[in-house]
Amino acid sequence: METDSFLSMRGIGKTFGDVRALREVDFGLRRGEIHALLGVNGAGKSTLIKILSGVYSKDAGSIRIAGEEFALGTPRAAIDAGIAVVQQHPELVGDLSGAENIFLGQESERPGFLARVDHAEIRRKAQALLSRFPIEIDLGKPVGEMSAVDREIVAILHALRLENARILILDEPTSTLTEREKQSLFGMMETLKAQGLAIIYITHHLDEVFEIADRFTVFRGGRNVATHRVDEARGGAISIPNLMLDTVAGHVFPPHSDRTDGQVVFEARGLGRTDEFRGIDLTARKGEILGIFGLVGSGLDELSKTLFGVLQPDTGELRLHGQPVMFRSPAQALKAGVFLVPGDRRTEGLSMQEDVVFNTTVANLGRASAGGFLRFGRNRRDAMALAERVDLQPRKLNRPLRGFSGGNQQKVVVAKGLYRQSDVYIFVEPTVGVDIGARAKIYGLMRELSETAAVIVMSSDCDEVFGVADRCVALYKGAPMGSPSRDLTRDHLLHAGIMGDPAR
Amino acid sequence: MTYMTQSSLDTRSGTPGRAVLPGRSLMRYGFFLLIAVVFVIFALLRPTFVAPGNIHGMLMSASIAALMFLGLTWLIAAGEIDVSFMSVAALANMTVAGLVSSGAGWPLATLGGLAIGAVFGGLNAGLVAWLRLPALVITIASGALAASIAAAIGLGTSISLSTTGFVGGFLDLRVGILPVLALAVAALYAGAWLAQERLTFGRYIYAMEQNRAAVEEAGVPVNRLLFVLFLLSGLMSSLSGVLLAANLSSGQPYLGTSYFLDGLTAVLLGGMALKFGKPNVLGTLAAVIFLTGLLNGAALLGWTDSQRQIVRGSLLLIGVGLVVFARARTRKRHPA
Amino acid sequence: MTRSALLVRILAFVGVVCVIALLFWSQNPAFLSTGNIRALLRHMSVNGLAALGLTFVIVVRHYDLSFPGVASFGAMTMGWLIAVGQPLAVAIGGGLFVGLLFGLANGAMVARFKLPDIVTTIATGGLAIGFSYFYSNGTSISKNFFMSGLLDINDGRFLGMDRPFAILLGAALLGGLILHGSRFGRAFYATGENPVSAYYSGVPVRAMIAAAFAICGLCACLSIVLLVASSGAANVSAGTQLLMPAFAAVYLGSALFGRTSIPATLAGTMMMSLMLNGFTLLAIPYFYSDAIVSTVLILAIAGFDPRVSGAIRAALSRKETLA
Repeated sequence: METDSFLSMRGIGKTFGDVRALREVDFGLRRGEIHALLGVNGAGKSTLIKILSGVYSKDAGSIRIAGEEFALGTPRAAIDAGIAVVQQHPELVGDLSGAENIFLGQESERPGFLARVDHAEIRRKAQALLSRFPIEIDLGKPVGEMSAVDREIVAILHALRLENARILILDEPTSTLTEREKQSLFGMMETLKAQGLAIIYITHHLDEVFEIADRFTVFRGGRNVATHRVDEARGGAISIPNLMLDTVAGHVFPPHSDRTDGQVVFEARGLGRTDEFRGIDLTARKGEILGIFGLVGSGLDELSKTLFGVLQPDTGELRLHGQPVMFRSPAQALKAGVFLVPGDRRTEGLSMQEDVVFNTTVANLGRASAGGFLRFGRNRRDAMALAERVDLQPRKLNRPLRGFSGGNQQKVVVAKGLYRQSDVYIFVEPTVGVDIGARAKIYGLMRELSETAAVIVMSSDCDEVFGVADRCVALYKGAPMGSPSRDLTRDHLLHAGIMGDPAR
Repeated sequence: MTYMTQSSLDTRSGTPGRAVLPGRSLMRYGFFLLIAVVFVIFALLRPTFVAPGNIHGMLMSASIAALMFLGLTWLIAAGEIDVSFMSVAALANMTVAGLVSSGAGWPLATLGGLAIGAVFGGLNAGLVAWLRLPALVITIASGALAASIAAAIGLGTSISLSTTGFVGGFLDLRVGILPVLALAVAALYAGAWLAQERLTFGRYIYAMEQNRAAVEEAGVPVNRLLFVLFLLSGLMSSLSGVLLAANLSSGQPYLGTSYFLDGLTAVLLGGMALKFGKPNVLGTLAAVIFLTGLLNGAALLGWTDSQRQIVRGSLLLIGVGLVVFARARTRKRHPA
Repeated sequence: MTRSALLVRILAFVGVVCVIALLFWSQNPAFLSTGNIRALLRHMSVNGLAALGLTFVIVVRHYDLSFPGVASFGAMTMGWLIAVGQPLAVAIGGGLFVGLLFGLANGAMVARFKLPDIVTTIATGGLAIGFSYFYSNGTSISKNFFMSGLLDINDGRFLGMDRPFAILLGAALLGGLILHGSRFGRAFYATGENPVSAYYSGVPVRAMIAAAFAICGLCACLSIVLLVASSGAANVSAGTQLLMPAFAAVYLGSALFGRTSIPATLAGTMMMSLMLNGFTLLAIPYFYSDAIVSTVLILAIAGFDPRVSGAIRAALSRKETLA
């Protein structure tokens, strides 16, 4: 690797139990560059970041900054080495102002609890820090009242509050930002770059890499598989998706269906919720998979919750088997035959301390019991049959869910849905944190389910929606870009979802 | 763990409301208005309510209670809970009585009482702050331990004292109708208010309740702060227990029970004053004065124990309800 | 937990019980006499019932501090009904109704109005104590108790067992069936483990929380019926002695068996009653009992806490790597 690196990591290794999260990773970062880190979940990029920020200590390898060797290992050591980290979901105190959040823990020269909070000095220092950037925000406002991008800027300023910061790590900062907000964040990054900071930028959005980064590194399976200049990839000479995925993406997806005559099961007519989404018309049929692509902030999450009765629509209606329905709660939606595989399985889908049988049967306790009493033997047999059908690995029904990998946890959520025997299945972000093998299985199960039920897949992963669904539509800032269609190209869907440009 | 173990099922986000300025200052200062109104009503109905002797008595008991609830205020403000404070006070009280009646002098007995507070405060602090065990269950247990030892010291009954020593002498000092103790407590609370509003101490307490992770990530030793708060709660409780020994000229093993509800009520009701539902020391002080006056006035009006107990319970419920209501409104105004 | 690990814990529990029993027996052979064992089981019945109810609230990950006050109110209600000449069944029904009512009120406030459970239940408990003064302005009630047949609940026998113990066993069986054998039990646990996921699974989360509080209130009043039957008088502070043993039983049980459950609570109650009874037999005064129970509780919570044992293990392994 090049010798002019400001930060140079060599032969970094990290093992958790019997999982090798990083093997022999080399990584170099120059001053005044924005370096994008790419890779699917579990590829090793977050482990690398945690080593740099001192959350984990490395098992092997060396880290040099400006030629000086650093062991890191504790957050304090990382801060002293000049490494500033902005987490994916920055922790801020809502009632405190922006300036107070920036200097939280540094209210005074003196450490400890009995130091005077010098409000004027904090405000002055915060303003001085802010004035380094061509950005105008009101740092006197409580953070709780700020927009997402202003909060992100406060978090970056908080990370840069120390004079010695030389390396800035940004972990998916744009995930909650709108397109315009993103531009002001990128402006700030350009300024920092011009001031000589070395920036590591983690993202899932390839378009952002081309927009802002100078170089990128792709991680796969705990290794650094490639580092290139962005210019080199621009002409399409290097396929980043192929670098990121082990197998060519096409093999993951089951064949598409040609059926268009399936029975209509679930419909939305003019569905809308104020400030979230509007004018949603959908028709989900048996025999095909309907796909909706939308980034975070597009209203996709709220739409999925409305279809499932967590939220109620302000306008429009839902129809099930042709009859208008109104779900006041998920319980009503489930009873009517709608099942949601939620986007965040840890908080919405599973009881992590409970075992497979418990989690499989919990959404259909009526079926799991007779006269109110659980049918233990039968539930176990049913759970085993479902575990086989979703190919749960390992097939240990007594093991608490936290003992399974992300992909297998997701399979249990699918098994829970299968146990419910619903007429409509809604999959939200079905493969976040799911390894490639489990992904193929889950897509296969969706196709299988579509034989007997209507299947809707909603995701911020364009390739996933395009690959698995038969008809797709993009949701952009709460509005559908056209109506679901079979004849969309992938690029068309991508542009509609990212730029809101259906015609092209 | 916060003292609210609540599930957040409400995913519905409210429509952003608008803060009406008169409403805000009514919420901020309305409690003080209420105190004034209630006190005037009592004074009109029973003139003895404002007799010098009665005022002096109320100030004495309010001062002692205020000492006991100072640490508790900050613990609840930081999102923790301590239900052992009143038992620690009872144990300190019995320790002093036991030592004095067995011939030790008041200075030694006072030190013994305060040591009890340090030991129990340290026990709670160690288990909750360092080991991160659930505060409620730990303080239930340590409170029961303290109460049990308190009863054991007097073999189940109270100990009456013939002398009240220098502590009694201090309690008897007065400027006009104002006990010096009340002035000292007022000064202490003024200092506490400054620490809460001007120093990093108070800033971290409130920040910690909102987002503990943020404060930890900013490099603040949150565990140490919690440790200090539990220790402080134990020490302040034991100090009030020592004063009670002189004030009552006896050790009362079961005196804790009457302070339990009052302490939580004072902190939560007081949180409504000034800071929109966040417990704060001036609010606690105001609420202590309010409760003392209310219970005293109610006694003058001839209310039964039952009625007064019901008033206490209802006030606590109202306090809790108002806190939750106020927070829901502020959260709605700034959806995080 | 795997089955073998559970078996180890059960064996460990039985072993500890045997050791404690042997220790007391060696100090005073009367410990293992039939009379004492019956006294022990009767004592266990009162605390066990209150702990059973609390188990449900802890399973849904909430706290109830009102049940001691509610139990006092239940005791006074029952005592007053007997004193004014109502039949025993009506009196007991009245007492239990109080528990159910307060439990439902707690449940509604916590589940529906999202009030913080700890402070809210402290307040309702305080209210209940206030109400319990109504009947006699705080003096204890024992009029007509002997005639009413109330005392037979304590003295009578059922299937060779003392009646209080039979009632505890019956309640535990029913509670165990609900919590571990029925769909409702699944819903209770799902609510406690992850309320959001439970809600998404169609579990009526709020109803489960309210039901847990109602069961807790009901059980506390059932336990106070036994206590009043054994003491022969109802008084306004009858319930206060339930608080510590109930919390201790639930937490001790879940520390012993790794999770909160009906058998764990019963085991916790048994362990405590064993110790309390033993110390009483050794003529240790009553006011030490809370000290013993709370010390055991603190040690059990600290000793079985995964973080604590993890920290100890980490410290040990660090020492090894250093060496």
